[in-house]
Amino acid sequence: MPIIHLEDVSKLYGFGDATTVALDEVNLSVERGEFVAIMGPSGSGKSTLMNVIGLLDRPSHGKYILDTRHVSRLHSSQRAKVRRDKVGFIFQSFNLLPRMTVLENVAVPLSYKGLLQTRRLKKASSMLERVGLNEREYFYPKQLSGGQAQRVAIARALINDPQIIIADEPTGNLDSASSRLVMELLSDLHKAGNTILMVTHNPSLTRYASRVVFMHDGSIVADEQTELGEIPTTLKRSMYFMPRRTVEDDLKGVSTLMNTMPEDKPIVLKKPAKKPAKKRTYKARKSTTGGKK
Amino acid sequence: MVTGNFKIAFDSIKAYKWRSFLTMLGIIIGVVSVVTIVSIGEGVKKQISNQIGHMGPDLITVRPGKPVTRNNSGHIDAVNFMSGFVGNSLTENDVQAIKKTPNIAKTVPMSFVSGTPRADGRTFERNVIFGTTEDLPAMLNQDVEYGEFFQAHDADKNVVVIGKSVAEELFQETVPVGRSMQIRGENFVVRGVFEEFATAKLTPNADYNAAVFMPINVSKKLSNNQTNIQQILAKPTDPTKTNEAVKSMQKQLLNTHAGQDDFTILKQEDNLAIANTILNLLTGLITGVAAISLLVGGIGIMNIMLVAVTERTQEIGIRKAVGATNSQIMSQFVIEAAVISLTGGVVGIFGSLLANFFIRVTTDLEPVITLPIMGLALAVSLIVGIFFGSAPALQAARKDPIEALRKI
Repeated sequence: MPIIHLEDVSKLYGFGDATTVALDEVNLSVERGEFVAIMGPSGSGKSTLMNVIGLLDRPSHGKYILDTRHVSRLHSSQRAKVRRDKVGFIFQSFNLLPRMTVLENVAVPLSYKGLLQTRRLKKASSMLERVGLNEREYFYPKQLSGGQAQRVAIARALINDPQIIIADEPTGNLDSASSRLVMELLSDLHKAGNTILMVTHNPSLTRYASRVVFMHDGSIVADEQTELGEIPTTLKRSMYFMPRRTVEDDLKGVSTLMNTMPEDKPIVLKKPAKKPAKKRTYKARKSTTGGKK
Repeated sequence: MVTGNFKIAFDSIKAYKWRSFLTMLGIIIGVVSVVTIVSIGEGVKKQISNQIGHMGPDLITVRPGKPVTRNNSGHIDAVNFMSGFVGNSLTENDVQAIKKTPNIAKTVPMSFVSGTPRADGRTFERNVIFGTTEDLPAMLNQDVEYGEFFQAHDADKNVVVIGKSVAEELFQETVPVGRSMQIRGENFVVRGVFEEFATAKLTPNADYNAAVFMPINVSKKLSNNQTNIQQILAKPTDPTKTNEAVKSMQKQLLNTHAGQDDFTILKQEDNLAIANTILNLLTGLITGVAAISLLVGGIGIMNIMLVAVTERTQEIGIRKAVGATNSQIMSQFVIEAAVISLTGGVVGIFGSLLANFFIRVTTDLEPVITLPIMGLALAVSLIVGIFFGSAPALQAARKDPIEALRKI
């Protein structure tokens, strides 16, 4: 049984002529213990997908089963509870509460569960130890470096023992050294058996992932299992075709990745999972069929 | 959860000290004004009941006209302000009639004389001059501190007994016994000075400390042989028979007035009721005005909370992302508003204690802040906070977490 099972999930915004299709009948199954990297140009629906999976948003159509429970039609307060117990969020801008100490920040999710203060702080303290920041417990977020702040955010995401961890560009605001530290931490969590979904623009970060999903215009256009430490072939191919960046491109504000994303003729990957890496594709397909039962 | 919310509330008050203080100021001013006004009212009521207690609860007062209206069960339900001070329906015949009434032990008329006492080239403007008889000190249960009260054999002599304020302001000494003053061109010798009367401000009762008492026969002479009896005081033979005495007095007086009911007999409890009616009206009016400032304070809280909700949109988004439900966010902001207004209420109570102190030092009023008043003020400020904090809190609770998180 996959931990995340999306079936024909769509998300629409607006009405009539102004309707925007943010997600277009997405089917996705994620098994326990997978580290899924989600890539795609801006506006391709990655964040919407993350919001739907993380129960911040409700799909307009389709079915979403999270850990054997139908959650697509839940009321907002029920979603909040499922979110609290099953989902941990890591954001690009850390999103720590500035007027609380590191320890209190990590303990925030526990307070909504109704734990007593002493127990909350104790648990938060042990979680901080796990990310290697127990010496910074009484610091305020602004006194931390970016990498430290993100590790605090990871500790907060982990405090409720979530079923899935959703990381939206966790290294987007970090320098490369801090990025590596954070990614190593996520990788450790993955190895410890956690399910992680990560949105990223940085192709090299897909090395840490066990599976890479490419999105474009609200659909999943490629889905590939990878060995740890490997860059997926889809990405390699798109990198191969990647034109040199020109000044004009930069001025236009169009990312090179977006220009080379598999969407048109040269690389058609509408049903991508069939061809490459046969062994692991089998597993992925089995899981989808398993979900349908 | 709840203790956590209190901590959050105090933290945000600390973080925005100046703003929180200004927000509280509305509540503080409201609470101080309401509590102070109510406590002044309470203080005056206490003074009146002290005064009445001093004169004795069995004192019966007859006044001309109809200063009060009574309902069917005999309770006073309205006070006619004007008629208490005008009207001339009581005569010396009535005094004689009351004297003959069974169960009445003593009767003292008090006739009003207009005029300004003058001595040593000074005048005393805020005076009242009464013509009365030798039984007055016993009737009012009041001692003469210096000298003595005039006796029956002084009935036709130009002698006066004065209140303390007259002594101090007109003669500028505490014991002006034996000195003389002029009233309407006649010379009077001061025979005695009363002990200080227990007074109550803001009531229609005359301040006897500023009064000059003279024999009633002399006062009649002064006003062209007319008596203007402002009130007749009487005491029953037995305090427990006050009601019977009042009834027979009523009958007796109706006889002398040819059946015309143009006088009013008041027991001390009636006097108390009159004073309370007037005071409640007064304090009610002013408290109403003061309560408006509480309302304005509440609107201030609402305004600031709306700003806080907008400012803290991201915080709301984060809290929702980590699993806060709408009602948990709502309670956080309601508690914050309640903490602000309740703190304002507490500070306001300290402020009104301070105001109380200054009023006691600078005026004759003796405001009383009782525990129920304090409790009520706190409860009201709490309710104001919850009421005006609810709308912003609801707004916070309804924020879409995705929108809220995007606002970075």
